[in-house]
Amino acid sequence: MSVRIIMKLLVETREELDDDLVRIAFRHPIRPQLPIWTPGAHVDVRLGNGKIRQYSLTSDPSDLSRYAIIVKRERDGRGGSDFIHEHFTEGAHVRVSMPRNNFKLATGRGVLIAGGIGVTPLISMGRALSQSKMLESFHFCSKTSYPSIEGELSRFCGDSLRTYFSNEPDSQRLNVASLIENLSSDLHIYCCGPERLMSEVKHLTSDWNPDQLHFEAFNASEDQKHKAEPFDVTVSSTGETLRVSESQSILDVLRVAGYVIPSSCRQGICGTCECGYTSGEVIHRDSILSPDARQDRIMLCVSRARVSVTLDL
Amino acid sequence: MSWTGKLLHIHIAPEASFEMEELSEAQLVAGKGIVGDRYYLGRGTYSPKPDCREITLIEREALDALSRDDPPMQGESISVDPGEHRRNLTVEGVPLNHLVGYRFQIGEVILSGGRLNFPCRYLENLLQRPVFLPLYNRSGLNCWIEKGGIIRPGDSIIPLNEATDKPHR
Repeated sequence: MSVRIIMKLLVETREELDDDLVRIAFRHPIRPQLPIWTPGAHVDVRLGNGKIRQYSLTSDPSDLSRYAIIVKRERDGRGGSDFIHEHFTEGAHVRVSMPRNNFKLATGRGVLIAGGIGVTPLISMGRALSQSKMLESFHFCSKTSYPSIEGELSRFCGDSLRTYFSNEPDSQRLNVASLIENLSSDLHIYCCGPERLMSEVKHLTSDWNPDQLHFEAFNASEDQKHKAEPFDVTVSSTGETLRVSESQSILDVLRVAGYVIPSSCRQGICGTCECGYTSGEVIHRDSILSPDARQDRIMLCVSRARVSVTLDL
Repeated sequence: MSWTGKLLHIHIAPEASFEMEELSEAQLVAGKGIVGDRYYLGRGTYSPKPDCREITLIEREALDALSRDDPPMQGESISVDPGEHRRNLTVEGVPLNHLVGYRFQIGEVILSGGRLNFPCRYLENLLQRPVFLPLYNRSGLNCWIEKGGIIRPGDSIIPLNEATDKPHR
């Protein structure tokens, strides 16, 4: 189970970037340095309206005097980005968690593939790979161009950056199949973007070593065929068995029973409620656990089980 | 018992997992807690499980021991700042383990020792440092507030040598 300290940070600067993008930089009101983080990490941002959202850190991890995030206003979203655009002004205090990284860089050369605002975790990763001369190429596709992000990427990527903007007639389109086909199979691929892009990359790399493939979802994956069924959950430390109905999550049931379980996104994308399990057939519905990790780890907010599961709790 | 200790730091957090904030003075309310703290507000990690948690104390000497790897249980010294251990009060020269079941005074307030605080994996997880074993039996004291009032760092702490009728197990 993973819990993190939640800090009260100050919005030091707010910078309007391209259309619908804002960069927010936070600093600690007392401490000169914020907790360390690694490229690809995200923080939980608590919005004043009770909601919690995850945002990738886009600043440089060697500069711990500040954290920066870039937030795109999603007008048809769940309301988090709207709130940030309206209320996160300079001088505001915001509750921000210590960083967590579910999208770490592995050792070796890397290819980065970003779709839309999914570029945000890849900014710090691209910078780090470039600094260590391990960046093979950075592919950034989007409907419209984001000159500010493109400018930042080109500063450290140089010629390794390729951009593809589908609404711009002069821009080339990303051909994912051709890209993957021409990659050396000893590279690591890091991909973040819409579900369609990530599914295509996953499909085209199905014969790759899974350890070389790294994905981060920023929306929960949707499985239209999933039909929730009730099952039992047993807590190994107490022996207690609880029933999870089709309309409840394991997290809900454990909390009602008095177990203290941290959670954040409730969509299976942040990793806060990760827990071990010792037996049972688990139906994994999260977007972060690797196939290996799924052998004995479960995300309590979204994943379920057939008949029963025993948690290492 | 005859000794005089000192209150070094006061920290509160408005919600579970929130970073502790240091206060230059605090208002203690009998039977409730420290105004503004998560257990006063019913928002603590353990708030759903009623227990003696109106105010918690820890010895500065225990933190010093951790910082010099004494006893050598965790392989290296561990630095835990007063704002990190998540107890409300950091005190000096106060034998907390002797105060289970007894009243004592900090400035104008009177506390009674409830039960010894037990180190928890939650804290270890939160700090990402292996503090569970080294804090065993010196993780502090959970107290009841019998007489409220204002406390400030620097206040003297003295034993009253009176048994409390509050639960202390």
